[in-house]
Formats: sequence, C-alpha cells, structure tokens
Amino acid sequence: MSQSDPVMKPPGEGRSALFSRPSVLVVDDEKRIRDVCAKMLAGDGHEVGVAETAEIGLRMVKNRHFDIILLDLMMPGISGIDALVQIRTAHPDTVVIVITGYATLEHSIEAMKKGAFDFLSKPFSPGDLRVVINRAVEHISTLKDIATEKSRMRVMINKLADGVMTTDNQKRIAQANPAFLKMIGYHGPRPIGRTADEIVGIKSLNDMIDRVLDAPEEESIEVTEEVCLEQDAQNAETVLGAQCVPFRDRLGRNLGTITVLHDITASKRIDKLKSDFVSMVSHEIRSPMNSVLTQLKVVLDGLAGETTQKQRDILGRASEKIAALIRLASELLDLAKIESGLITREREEIQMAQLLEDQVAFHQAQAQAKSIQLSLEDLPELPALMANRLNLEEVFSNLIGNAINYTPEKGKIIIDAEVEGDYLCVRVTDTGVGIAEEELERIFDPFYRVKNDKTRFVIGTGLGLPIVKSIVDAHHGLIRVESEPGHGTTFSVFFPCTP
Amino acid sequence: MSNDTLILVVDDDPDLVESVSMRLESEGFQVAKAYDGVEAWDRIKDARPQMLILDVMMPRKNGYELCDELKKDDNFKDITVLLLTAVADAIPYTTYTHMDGKTTLADDFIPKPINLDNLMEIVKDNL
Repeated sequence: MSQSDPVMKPPGEGRSALFSRPSVLVVDDEKRIRDVCAKMLAGDGHEVGVAETAEIGLRMVKNRHFDIILLDLMMPGISGIDALVQIRTAHPDTVVIVITGYATLEHSIEAMKKGAFDFLSKPFSPGDLRVVINRAVEHISTLKDIATEKSRMRVMINKLADGVMTTDNQKRIAQANPAFLKMIGYHGPRPIGRTADEIVGIKSLNDMIDRVLDAPEEESIEVTEEVCLEQDAQNAETVLGAQCVPFRDRLGRNLGTITVLHDITASKRIDKLKSDFVSMVSHEIRSPMNSVLTQLKVVLDGLAGETTQKQRDILGRASEKIAALIRLASELLDLAKIESGLITREREEIQMAQLLEDQVAFHQAQAQAKSIQLSLEDLPELPALMANRLNLEEVFSNLIGNAINYTPEKGKIIIDAEVEGDYLCVRVTDTGVGIAEEELERIFDPFYRVKNDKTRFVIGTGLGLPIVKSIVDAHHGLIRVESEPGHGTTFSVFFPCTP
Repeated sequence: MSNDTLILVVDDDPDLVESVSMRLESEGFQVAKAYDGVEAWDRIKDARPQMLILDVMMPRKNGYELCDELKKDDNFKDITVLLLTAVADAIPYTTYTHMDGKTTLADDFIPKPINLDNLMEIVKDNL
C-alpha cells in the first residue's frame, strides 16, 4: 500500500483475518460524503479507502483489492458508469454500490444493468448506508462460502480412492478425478470437455453410460457392473465395481451421468482364495467319505460275509452320519461355487410355471410321506426369466424341502407366483412351526440352524438358506421371509423380469 | 443273474474300486480293475471289457481323455463308457444334471457321490 493511499485502519486491526470485515472504497467528489461514509464504515470495523475522482479510485483498485466500492455516478472526469464498467471487468468479484444524486432512476437502472450490486440515492442517512453495506457484506460472505465449498468439494473428490467421473448429457466429460483416470489407465491431456468414448477405452463402461443417458427421465435407473481389466504388467486382473447413475436437476431433467469406480480386486482375490480352499477341502473330504459309505454298504448288503442284525444296525447308523457329512461337504462346495460366480454364468430363458410344476411333482412323494398337502396355485401368465436353471431348481428345492421338513404331519404347503412391478415373485407358504422374530435375521447366516424342541429332529447343514440367498443375490433378486411361530412361514423370492 | 459281461472299474481310490467290484460280482458280472487312465488302457487292450465304469479325476490320464481316445478309436468305440462324475446332486432332492459339456462322448453318467444301488440300475440300463 503506497503512502498516498488514504486508507483508514479500523479499530482492532491485526486480529485474525477470519474476523475482518470487507474493505470498502468510497469514490465521491463531495468531501462531506467521503468523510461521513469513511467515519461510519471505519467505526463499523471496515477498512476504508477514499478517492475524490474516478481516476484516483481506479488507480487504487489496481493497487489493492477492495471488497466493496461505493461509487458516485456524477463526477468530473471519468464518469461513474465508465468506472463501474472498468471495475466490473477487471474485478468481477468486487461489489459495486452506486450513489446517485436526486434519485435519478434511469441512472440507477443503467448502473444495475452494467453490474452494480445496489444503489444509494442522495441524500442518504447513515442508516441507509449501513443497510446497503450489510446486504453487500452478506452477499460477499455467501459468495465466499460457495467458492470455499466448491474448492473443498474439488479437493475431496480428487483425494477419493474411488474413481468419479461426471459427464453432461452429450457424454462430454465435465469432471474426472485422478483415481478415475488411473483406474481406466488414461494418461494424456486434460480430458475435460472431450467425450467419454474418446477417453474411456473400456467398452462396458461406455455402454453403461449410454444406457443411463438413454433411460427416460421419469425412470429411476442405476447400472452396476463388475468390470474386469487385463493388465499387461504382471498379467494380473483388476476388477472394478462400476456404478453409473443419471445426474438430474430438481425438476428431474437429465443433465448427464455420474460414474463411480471402486477397485474390488483385493476382495475378489480373497473370495476366490476362500472358495478355492473350501472346494479343495470338501473334495478331499467328500471323496474318501463316499468311499467309506460304499464300503459300509457292501458290508451291510452281506457281500463281505454274513452280518448280525446288531452289526447291521450299527453300520446303518454310521452310514447315515457319513451321508449327512457328505451332504454338508457338497453344500459347502456349492456355496463356494456360487460365491465364486462359477455357477450363475450360464443363463437361459426359464419358464417359471414349468419349473415350479416340476419342483412340486418332485417333492410330492416326500410331502405325502408326512401327509402334507403340497400344491401349486393356478398361476397367471408369467414372463420368462433369464437365469441359471440349476440354480433356480436349487432355490425352490431348498425352500420346498425346508417347508416339508419344518411342517408337522397333515400340514399344508402352497406355492404361488405373480408379477409384482418389475419383479416375478414366487411365494412358498407353509403351516409349519414358524420362525421366531429374533431368529429371522439369522436364518440366512451360513451354518445357522434354528434349534428348539420342534426342530431337533430335522437333519440339515444350515447351508440351504445361505445357498438360496447367494443364488438370489447373484440374480439381482430379493428374498423376504414372514413368519408367525406356531402358524407358519412364507418365503417370497423376487427375480427381476427380463426386459 | 449270471453272465459273462466283463466290466472294467477305473478309479484312483482302491477302496472304492473294491466296493464297486464286490457289488458287481455279487450280481454276477466279471470285473477287471485299474487305478489310473494309463493302466486302464492296458487292461482294455488285454481284456476287451464290454463296459467301463470310469472316474474322471485320476492321475496320469484323466477319465475325459481316456473316454475321448476310446470313442475315437474304431477298435474300441463300442465299449460302453459310464462316467463317474461329481454332479450338482449335493442336495438330495436336486435333479441330477451333469455340468460338463466335454463329457458328451460317454454313454451315460453315474453321479457322485456313488450310491451302489443307483450304480447297479445305471449299469443294467446300459447293457
């Protein structure tokens, strides 16, 4: 600040900048107005500068920043309007309040059009001045907040470990953080403004963005996919969880898209290790146990010589135990296969009505053995599903098998299906022992089994429902259970309909 | 039922081979045994069995390979091959379905884990 600049220091100068009030420059050829304004503003804690002509004012503005400028429109030399235009051009974030004589409305309007924030008509009281200044101060602090917010947001997004990219509705990139560019393997000039097709060399990602852009505005859509990238370096595979959603304004108009990438390579690798381990273990256990079972069978059948009734009883019970263990190993293997995504890959068109009919027929003997009435309701016309046949058979086999196991003699089991919104819903309802509320949330946990006096005699592994849930999840479906202890249980399975 | 049908049982688990053989013999079949794919080929050439009960996972030469070679050889393609294969029969009430497209050259499948009564039915069906 040069010595000639008549800037009054407010009292308390030197406090933290956080508390400082915006600086004000008063440009007016009337000394009285300059003095009154300067005194009052300095008293309110502003740093104040004064200039008696537009020329001096412009020079001062060039040397240092003022937050607010009070500018008289009628001055000799450079007019206030011209000064206003120059200030607004060179310092767009400076707030200019014009002072007009004799309430000349046209001048005020013209000044507002040229970017003045507000106007004060002469003569004005200190109160009028304070009101206008306070409004400007508020405006400045809001602008600062927004700017701070913006830069904070940018820093946050750029620091995210997840990749984030935003495009407009022409698929031009509006924002892409470093993590995103790294994940898609882009090293080049700034991608902002170029289309995603040019920058993102991953077809499935571009297809996701296209699908979201093509979605009608009234439809809520979220596209999620796993994207596998082959890397040349160590031939290691990177797996990204990709999610793409539309960017809509408050009126629901499509402004563009937001794509988020999450690196799930590590968790995929751990899943795979776990699955490999489980399947290795269950193979190693299942094969020898099966061998033992056939040996017991040979002895039981008397092929290795005469046996006594007592010996056969003992061998029979041993066989049952071994068979249960083999089943456990098999189910573990199944769960591992489903979790590693091996099973669900092969999908075909499934007619649910036919599949349910087969399943009901298949379990009829088991149900009749307990005098349970197992029936399939008359089904409405159902859309075909794209799903894995074996998986679906396993789902309903488990649910119907469970219903039979947990329903007392002479009970009822009803299978029903209908379309609910975008989902095909199948319900398996029984009149069985039911599930207590506190057990409901745990029944899908692996190895969890409801144990009470009514279920003690049911043999199972505790893996049936987890397998069911894994399969339903893998098909992007939902499973719900409602139950009333002593009265029965309804399992509802929802599969998304093929579009 | 007594007959002179010779069945070759091939599995790398000798205990399983023994149990299956005892059951087959009890039903009157002639039985030969082998414990891997290469040994199985030798037995086939020596003994000319009418039927093979063939495990898939074996050392030296696996069941798929052996089955393939056999079915492509005009001298041996008439031998009935029953493949022992682990199938999605984990849950007892799931329908038996084999999962591997490569096994189509075999005449039939015996699902694993083996149930000896079931095995006998499949053997008789394929005679």
